[in-house]
Amino acid sequence: MPLQALRTVSKGQNGVGAFILQCKRLDFHYCDWAGSSRGMNAFLKSELAAFARQNPQVEITVSPRPGRHPVVRGHYINGREKAICVRNMAIQEILQKALLLRNASGEKLKRVTKPVKSLNESVRGIWSPMHERNGFKI
Amino acid sequence: MRTPWNTKARRPSSFRSRLIEPKIQRTSGILSLCSLCALMVHIVAVIPKMTPNMIAVFPFQFAGCAYQPPAGDQTCFGNPRLPSSSYSTRTAASNSSSCRRAVQYRPQWQCRQQLHSTSRLASADAVTASMELELLDGQAPLRSAPERKPFPAASESRARSSAKLAALHARLALPAKLPLSTLARCLIDASVDPRPGSNNASLTILGQELLGYYTAEWLICHYPRLPMPVLFAAQHAYVGNTTLANLRREWGVEAAVAPGLEVDAGLLQFTANQSWKEQMERQLSRAKGELTDTDSQPLGTGRSNEEWRYRRGISSRIVYDNEFGDLVEGRSIDNEPSPEGPSSSSMVQPVHRTLGNPTTVEAASANFIRALVGALYLHAGLQQTQKFHASHILSRHLQLHTLFNFTHPTRDLSRLCAREGFEPPVARLLSETGRHSRSPVFVVGVFSGEDKLGEGAGSSLNEARVRAAAAALRAWYLYSPPEDDVKVPSCMLGTGSGAIGQEETERKVKWRSQLVDVGEIIT
Repeated sequence: MPLQALRTVSKGQNGVGAFILQCKRLDFHYCDWAGSSRGMNAFLKSELAAFARQNPQVEITVSPRPGRHPVVRGHYINGREKAICVRNMAIQEILQKALLLRNASGEKLKRVTKPVKSLNESVRGIWSPMHERNGFKI
Repeated sequence: MRTPWNTKARRPSSFRSRLIEPKIQRTSGILSLCSLCALMVHIVAVIPKMTPNMIAVFPFQFAGCAYQPPAGDQTCFGNPRLPSSSYSTRTAASNSSSCRRAVQYRPQWQCRQQLHSTSRLASADAVTASMELELLDGQAPLRSAPERKPFPAASESRARSSAKLAALHARLALPAKLPLSTLARCLIDASVDPRPGSNNASLTILGQELLGYYTAEWLICHYPRLPMPVLFAAQHAYVGNTTLANLRREWGVEAAVAPGLEVDAGLLQFTANQSWKEQMERQLSRAKGELTDTDSQPLGTGRSNEEWRYRRGISSRIVYDNEFGDLVEGRSIDNEPSPEGPSSSSMVQPVHRTLGNPTTVEAASANFIRALVGALYLHAGLQQTQKFHASHILSRHLQLHTLFNFTHPTRDLSRLCAREGFEPPVARLLSETGRHSRSPVFVVGVFSGEDKLGEGAGSSLNEARVRAAAAALRAWYLYSPPEDDVKVPSCMLGTGSGAIGQEETERKVKWRSQLVDVGEIIT
């Protein structure tokens, strides 16, 4: 057989073609009694329906957490989760936090020093001293 | 070092002159295997009517008479072939008047296991009463076989109540024509629910053919000289089980820990209750021929003279095997060649033989994605399916030049030059360094006349020569015509008189015949 083939797996590149939002689920935890949940309760009553309508790709659950501070928790496709405590926050601040969780990728926060990453090989190729026109002199 | 297969501008002139004259012939027949007209016949044959199953019978439906379900009715009174079970189902509420007999609402898996061997309601009371008596005595009733709970059909209400399912629908940006209940059905594997009307098996077949066809035509039209083994490997890299299982994970679809009625409809449900050891023992006993029941029979691959273990060449792989060149299980063996050719018989896959068997996460995930593509085709049409395939499958990253594994590249290159009428290839040393050191580097180019076909570097002259020949072969095989000239055959579908949808008729595409090479070098 003159030629054989090696089996590999193609790699997904999210955003090339289809984009999959990485936030799978947002949990909203509130408390009926505690004062730190006042903004959260108002958010649930007034803003959450509109927020859910604008983001249909995120599953939203609301559950009580009595005697605790209110928390917004995001679950991501890579298996990680992020939780933000929203105690004593106003409605708009909670909305900002929910948007932050929705837009996050789920990865740990890292400093990005090289902003461009690519799976493709370099088109120009790596510089080689063998291919200098007059020969490479040290 | 330059990678020569990326550069179109530097291709030698004699190569380019060969490309201009069209060659519309190809020895490999993968397109005939995946032809769409055969597929349409297949759809009609395979896909059952998709009405949701009736879940229960309410009392108000029995206004005047007792319900007499037909024999073999599976919608509410269960399959009479199922043996009796241990579940203590409440008897059908027999009212005071004998003619008004009603069945209370209960989940379907209870209803199905209620009756013993008949489906007539008249004898039902006696049977269920005896079952209750058994349970009252505290004895566990006998189980004839390890049973799997029958599964609820993917109903509209169950699908609507699942937030996960709606989120998945929106996350994948699926068209609104695809209902949530069908998406829920795509998530139910045949290992959980053996009824072909409510699992994803039939959609899986359709989706597999569609994915295979679209990927094959894209690959062949974009890389017309791709050898068949590499074409098989590229198909496997794009739509193989492993890739589709990764795709399921990247979509955020989770698998249920154990299938059941209470599981959210947005989770992938399948049965994988066999440990690795059990699987190995099952395979071993199957190989020894000890298993006798119908599920455990070795499944045919559709190849003639299968028992002789004939050598599997590339040509027979194209005709008999699946789109990855692998053997297909579950096909009937026909030793007599049919007059219209083997492909007509190989299109028929009796999938029901493999139903109910435990599966793996990878296979169940791949089946889910294939079923989703099939459902998309049935509900939303051709164009949406092509869009979905392009955005989710073809957008994945695959470097085709890494798939090649040459055994004798120098020999292949000289055969290629002889076949195409080029001058025989000559390897020339382009530059070198450190010949007498412990780490020499030689750069060798392979020339045909004045044209440099390929270039390679190695730590010995021979290694560099072989690498250069392999680079030249890759450059030949991975030729790709300009993007504007490529037209896949399926882009013409729906433009004729037999339009599938309204929006397809608006596309005006002019067909241009595609260059497809004669194939790889056979030595």
